[in-house]
Amino acid sequence: MLSGKQFQRYSRQLMLEDVGESGQEKLSQASILIVGLGGLGSPAAMYLAAAGVGRLLLADPDRLDLTNLQRQVLYQTADIGGGKAALAATALAALNPEIRLEAIDSAMDRETLDQHLPGVDLVLDCTDNGQSRQDINRACFAHRLPLLSAAALGWEGQLAGFDFRAGAGPCYSCLIAEGSPEPVASCATTGVIGPVLGIMGSMQAVEAVRLLVSGSCSVFGQLRRYDGKRGSWFRVGLVRQPSCPVCGNPRVET
Amino acid sequence: MIRVLFFGALADIAGREQLDLTWQPSLDSPAAIRLALAASAPALERALQQPQVLVARNLDQAGWDTPVADGDEIAFMPPVTGG
Repeated sequence: MLSGKQFQRYSRQLMLEDVGESGQEKLSQASILIVGLGGLGSPAAMYLAAAGVGRLLLADPDRLDLTNLQRQVLYQTADIGGGKAALAATALAALNPEIRLEAIDSAMDRETLDQHLPGVDLVLDCTDNGQSRQDINRACFAHRLPLLSAAALGWEGQLAGFDFRAGAGPCYSCLIAEGSPEPVASCATTGVIGPVLGIMGSMQAVEAVRLLVSGSCSVFGQLRRYDGKRGSWFRVGLVRQPSCPVCGNPRVET
Repeated sequence: MIRVLFFGALADIAGREQLDLTWQPSLDSPAAIRLALAASAPALERALQQPQVLVARNLDQAGWDTPVADGDEIAFMPPVTGG
């Protein structure tokens, strides 16, 4: 049952027929792991906290740097030098004191993921490197958890959705194979427009809310690309690779 | 005809977002299309050689060796990795 204050706080989304009180209760009972609290994780975490997602696990091992503030809108100038996970938890608690926030300041390798995934309903990959993306993909597939994976660079962003609840691909490794050489370009070397990350992180939040209230979302099995320079979107169907080492056909023992 | 689409940073390098190639049997894969661009657009061909460029054929994820036929649309998307 929602309290009177909760009715007020969430009234503008409760009004929507496909949210309503039951949708709000689903949000309040849900648990989301957000890996990476940078340019993608900032808006995603802010919108999900504001929407009343009951428990957010906030994972980032980094400390806030002056160069982060151009795009990582969760933080203040006075926060520089602080650990991002704890800073994020403090900022989000001020935004919505009704939800549970857990700061995780260790890197999310396979072991740490295995430790934190039980009890989680959905994972948002908001990281900035290929190895983390592959580790998160493997862990979500193993734990049969849906995964919303976003990335951005320059004026461009992408979002891909993987529904592992039935134990089947396609997965991130079908799109970008494990062990692929890392591209030369990164935010540190090439740069990135802050609001492009804002759009992609917000898209992750939209799809997360949609998934939690309705049980499905439109980005599963899709790659969506955004080009901020040309204002264009492109949608590509993901294809399961039978030879994928993560979700492909298991080798038959003879 | 093969319609080739370039996204984002690749469109910047190509100087265009779209290129229509007259169909010929040698253009039978995205890799062959990339190779065909080498003579007229060497910088673009180099950019397409970088790791993690994504390829789509007729709006579905594809690989560099996916068969291509007359009338197909091939899209090339540069890697985005930051967060």
